[in-house]
Amino acid sequence: MTDVAIGTGEAVVFWILGPVALAGALGMVFSRNAVHSALWLVTTMLSLGVFYVVQSAPFLGAVQIIVYTGAIMILFLFVLMLVGRDSSDSVVETLRGQRVAATVLGVGFAGLVGAGIARATRDTGIEGLGDAGGTGNIETIAGVLFTRYLLAFEVTSALLITAAVGAMVLAHIEREPGSRQTQKELSRARFLTDRPQTLPGPGVFARANSVATGALLPDGRTAEDSLATGIEPREVEQMPRPTGRAQLGSPDAALGTTDEPR
Amino acid sequence: MTIEAPDLSLAALAPLLFVFGAACIGVLVEAFGPRDSRHPVQVAVALVGTLGGLVTTVLLAGTREVTAGGALAVDGAGLFLQATIAGLGALSLLLFAERNLDPARSAFVVSAAVPAGSVRDRELLTVQRVQTEVYPLATFAIGGMMLFVTANDLLVMFVALEVLSLPLYLISGLARRRRLLSQEAAVKYFLLGSFASAFFLYGVALVYGATGTVRLAGVREAVAGAEGGTLVVLGLALLVVGLLFKASVAPFHTWTPDVYQGAPTPVTAFMAACTKVAAFGAILRLLYVAFGTEEWTWRPLVYGVAIVSMVIGAVLGLTQTDLKRMLAYSSVAHAGFLLTGVLGLPATGDAAGSGLPAVMFYLLAYGLTTLGAFAVLTLVRSGEGEATHLSQWAGLAQRSPLTAAVMSLFLLALAGIPLTSGFTGKFAVFRAAIEDGAWPLALVALLASAVAAFFYLRVIVLMYFSEPAVDGPTVGVPGLPTTIVLAVTAAATLLLGIVPGAVLGLADRAAIFVG
Amino acid sequence: MDTVAAEGLLSASWLVIALPLLGAAVLLLGGRRTDAWGHLLGTATVVAAFVLGLLCTVQLAGVEGHAVDAELFTFVSTGSLDVGAGLLVDPLSATFMLLITGVGSLIHVYSIGYMAHDPRRRRFFAYLNLFVAAMLLLVLGDNYVALYVGWEGVGLASYLLIAFWHDRPSAATAAKKAFVMNRVGDVGLALAIFVMFAQLGTVSYEGVFGGVGALAGGTLTALGLLLLLGACGKSGQFPLQAWLPDAMEGPTPVSALIHAATMVTAGVYLIARSAPIYDLTPTARGVVLAVGAITLLYGAIVGCAYDDIKKVLAYSTVSQIGYMFLAVGLGPVGYAAAIAHLLTHGFFKAGLFLGAGSVMHAMGDEVDMRRFGGLARRLPVTFVTFGLGYLALIGFPFLSGYWTKDAIIEAALDRGDWAGWLLGGVAVLGAGLTAFYMTRLMLMTFFGRPRWTEDQHPHESPSVMTAPMVVLAVGSVAAGFLLVQVFPLDTWLEPVFGVPEEAEHVVAPALVGLVVTAVMALGVLAAWLFVGRREVPEVAPARVSPVVRAARRALYADTVNESLFMRPGQWLTRALVWVDNRGVDGAVNGLAATLGGSSSRLGRAQTGFVRSYALGMLGGAVVVAGALLAVTAG
Repeated sequence: MTDVAIGTGEAVVFWILGPVALAGALGMVFSRNAVHSALWLVTTMLSLGVFYVVQSAPFLGAVQIIVYTGAIMILFLFVLMLVGRDSSDSVVETLRGQRVAATVLGVGFAGLVGAGIARATRDTGIEGLGDAGGTGNIETIAGVLFTRYLLAFEVTSALLITAAVGAMVLAHIEREPGSRQTQKELSRARFLTDRPQTLPGPGVFARANSVATGALLPDGRTAEDSLATGIEPREVEQMPRPTGRAQLGSPDAALGTTDEPR
Repeated sequence: MTIEAPDLSLAALAPLLFVFGAACIGVLVEAFGPRDSRHPVQVAVALVGTLGGLVTTVLLAGTREVTAGGALAVDGAGLFLQATIAGLGALSLLLFAERNLDPARSAFVVSAAVPAGSVRDRELLTVQRVQTEVYPLATFAIGGMMLFVTANDLLVMFVALEVLSLPLYLISGLARRRRLLSQEAAVKYFLLGSFASAFFLYGVALVYGATGTVRLAGVREAVAGAEGGTLVVLGLALLVVGLLFKASVAPFHTWTPDVYQGAPTPVTAFMAACTKVAAFGAILRLLYVAFGTEEWTWRPLVYGVAIVSMVIGAVLGLTQTDLKRMLAYSSVAHAGFLLTGVLGLPATGDAAGSGLPAVMFYLLAYGLTTLGAFAVLTLVRSGEGEATHLSQWAGLAQRSPLTAAVMSLFLLALAGIPLTSGFTGKFAVFRAAIEDGAWPLALVALLASAVAAFFYLRVIVLMYFSEPAVDGPTVGVPGLPTTIVLAVTAAATLLLGIVPGAVLGLADRAAIFVG
Repeated sequence: MDTVAAEGLLSASWLVIALPLLGAAVLLLGGRRTDAWGHLLGTATVVAAFVLGLLCTVQLAGVEGHAVDAELFTFVSTGSLDVGAGLLVDPLSATFMLLITGVGSLIHVYSIGYMAHDPRRRRFFAYLNLFVAAMLLLVLGDNYVALYVGWEGVGLASYLLIAFWHDRPSAATAAKKAFVMNRVGDVGLALAIFVMFAQLGTVSYEGVFGGVGALAGGTLTALGLLLLLGACGKSGQFPLQAWLPDAMEGPTPVSALIHAATMVTAGVYLIARSAPIYDLTPTARGVVLAVGAITLLYGAIVGCAYDDIKKVLAYSTVSQIGYMFLAVGLGPVGYAAAIAHLLTHGFFKAGLFLGAGSVMHAMGDEVDMRRFGGLARRLPVTFVTFGLGYLALIGFPFLSGYWTKDAIIEAALDRGDWAGWLLGGVAVLGAGLTAFYMTRLMLMTFFGRPRWTEDQHPHESPSVMTAPMVVLAVGSVAAGFLLVQVFPLDTWLEPVFGVPEEAEHVVAPALVGLVVTAVMALGVLAAWLFVGRREVPEVAPARVSPVVRAARRALYADTVNESLFMRPGQWLTRALVWVDNRGVDGAVNGLAATLGGSSSRLGRAQTGFVRSYALGMLGGAVVVAGALLAVTAG
């Protein structure tokens, strides 16, 4: 065991990013908004990635940032955006004593484990990497992966296959054979209707950008066609109507909206 | 840099290769096979895989080696449990494949992605197609379980835990009828299972941190050398939490009744039989191989947990009105009985105590019996699927004497009545506990058995001495697969009760851990 | 006794038990769909068992030492614990095996006709098969536990069959009585087995007989007396004899098979099988002798007074089994004689019961002999077979009973002491009384003026019933001669009981034969004088001597039972019921309520919410981690 001291730079990085990582974790748990939670988690993961790099594991740090932060978390965010960020669950607790008990037990568990680890590692000295790094990060990891942890590595593939198959099972609806029309048929069918052109997008001329806001026709009515199927039109908070002299003579006024002037 | 290839004994890996290979082929069939012939092909592939696994484990009998760079311990106990899992798994797959009972010819949904209760869902209710992915998924789970009981390495153990859990989460949600209940069960199982996995993983990390290795043998050496101390103990606690969850031992049992009730009954049977074997296999290996020298630390814990599990399972089972839930609590109580056998393990590594073979025998006997009991549940149906409410079973003996008789046999075995496998198993584990001086535990176990016997016998009384309800359930005529399952499990329940000598002897000889 | 492992056919001896058991299982589980052919299956399995038993016995004769132990299975054999069960086929058990399956087959055949019109015939055959299987287990087991299982099995079958017509209150009461009195005996047997296990650590015959020599005298006597209690209960011996005559409420084939030929002889088997124990305890053996002598006189006296044909036969059975007890009580000289008498008795008593059944069949289930009379002409086959059985029973020279009963009397006299003379005298007196009551029965049933009611038209039974009677009649005639003179039973049984010392004859055998025959003739003559000469009144005369009145009431046995046991018993029961209702039930109900209550209270934790489950797991994890840390820290 060589006596190794921790450099100032490393200490500074730790004491800055440590609290950041912890704050990210807490923020992730306590955020009510799923997108915020995901972003908090990104913060934590980025911090961890930096830690890895600082501890001479650049490969792991890069993987952490590229795969976890870059790929997985962004995928999460995509999904959250697609599902709609305001489809959140009720946060009212209906079970009596659940929160109190959860807090007590959570703190108790953290205390127990924390105290245990603190006690166990109190006298542990600093130990350098030595030549654990060997010829280099990537080679070493590869070496371990294909020798000592070969079985675990290989069996993980079973896990991934299961995950892929599971995702298909839960999300993919197989179409009945023949129930799907070809492009040509679809195109023909479209030209046989009254409206061969594309439908108007939502929110055209409207003052909100939610998909639930219909496009406004020139006469101020809502174009029902513009709403995507499956979305119920509803009142969405709209931007305030332009008021004041400066706006007089604007298209709104010229077209004579049905709204009462304020 | 040159890498030396690790020693890989293909022979020792053969059972796993068979099962995982079959699962992969199943996925390929799913992708490229013609839709019409998918079901029979999938059943055949899955059965060939599991039976191949069973045969290869039997052929490997007597092998004792550590392979795959020390990550896999192929030994007597491991092979016995692997064979048990493969055999029970094959029987469960037969239950999956039953086409005669449900009017729509399967217990599994046509398309899991179609929202429950939608128009499309109602259209699909009578379609005879099946989400055939259940077969490769179940095969993956069997493979994971077989790996779980031979894992000689905490990391492999964790991966195996996930490999066995993930497919189970999925197929729990694929019931054709009462889909919302089934999906709820799947989500609950997934969330709680992940929670438990997190504990396990944290435990692995702590143990690795303390000892610098994840190999069980390495951990034992480090522990014997008094390294680690608190950290190792904390790690052990968290590892045990993760495993007790899978074994549905109280107080980590809360998922069991809900998931058992919601999941499709063949899947419930599969979970009840195979998961229990796998989880106890891992508990035995962990406690015995890695922490055998530290018995004094975990012994009081197992003692207490066993009592809690037996009492909670037996007492809560009393007021259940749904048979699947009742069997779930029975499974909790049986987990407690099994833990009494775990206590009979010898503290020293070399002498074969009576605890290990007793637990192995119990697992086999319990797995067969509970599989049979759930198979009987699939037979009794009302208009909306299986009739699992207790009141619907009133007077069943008059409608179908054979079904009632077979069910009675299984219930008697679960209650541990002599001349059934349940008695032999209980006898073996209690004896092991008493020999090890844990007679108060055996006493509690006896009392708990007496309480539990009440709710098993209540079903029998209900079947035989009650007037059948006017609009009671019908008893379906099972097809070949379920018939095979019922015949095998009933015969085994009887044989292991009347002439258990051979199997007990086998378990005795096989009760060896390497690593 | 040296046994050898079973080979060849003998290793399949378990099939002898399994076949009837299979029949019973099929009939009971098969339900109504087996109604049509159930009785045939039941009969076929017993006949097959008989054939197999016969082949086994033939093979056994060729085996060195004549004893074979067929390991049935090892239940558990791991290290210290070795629990198993096996069958012991030796001359004694083989003899019983043949008797049970042989007579059993005949009675099954007979029952096909007798029960033809009963709607529950299938159930009847199922119970009969069950009985045969249990009885075979009783005699073939190689340990006392197997014997006990069979013992309880035949008790159960007997209970079910006595109460077969359970819509008759008398049948239900009789079944209950049989059940209770048998329990008293069973307690004795069970205690004896406990004592063996506690003292010797084994219950196998081999182990017990090997170890009894080392036991203290008191223990041995206790063991002997407890076994005797069991034997008395099952065999209807004094003081537990009262249930047997009442058991005649069952269908007649049952009386023939169970309560005459086989089950009631289980007590004799038990004592004969336990010979090594009794050989060491003269006290217990003396009690056996006393029980046998008292019972044989008691049965004979009471038999003289009853008018119910089946009850007379039943008391005759009680009395004849008394002879057998007397014989086994005499020790090695008597064992073979007892078994021989048991066999011949099995033939002629079964034949007599079947004959009685045939008479009842003809007379519309009438059992009162005062309503019979002059049936000899209407029922010729029954008359002839019954008559041969009768002659065999009273010991008419050169018929079965003559050979075997004489042997017992000779053996008793050969003791040479005052007890020998007393026992011999009792036995001779019993022979005279037997001749009296049996002649009375014959005269009242088959001779004299018909005393039937208008609507009775006696007719001979169908051949499916008469054929077994004929076979049994042939047996009654020839069995004794064959067993004593042609194939001497005592030689055949030597491997079991050893070679008895050649006793000095106190009285010359020929003289004994003459005296017994003379006493028998006196009995017959007396019966003719009292019954045959006069008109038989259709109603039993009320003004009779106190002796007759006492005999009619079975020498007040039931009264004694009632006042000594039943009344105080009922009293005690009432008191116990009170205690039970208030105390025990209270406790049990309280316990049940507590369990149920805690169950629903605990069940409330099962909220169905994942977050609450997760909380529970977290709590568990805290406790687990805390406990482990506490253990290591402490």
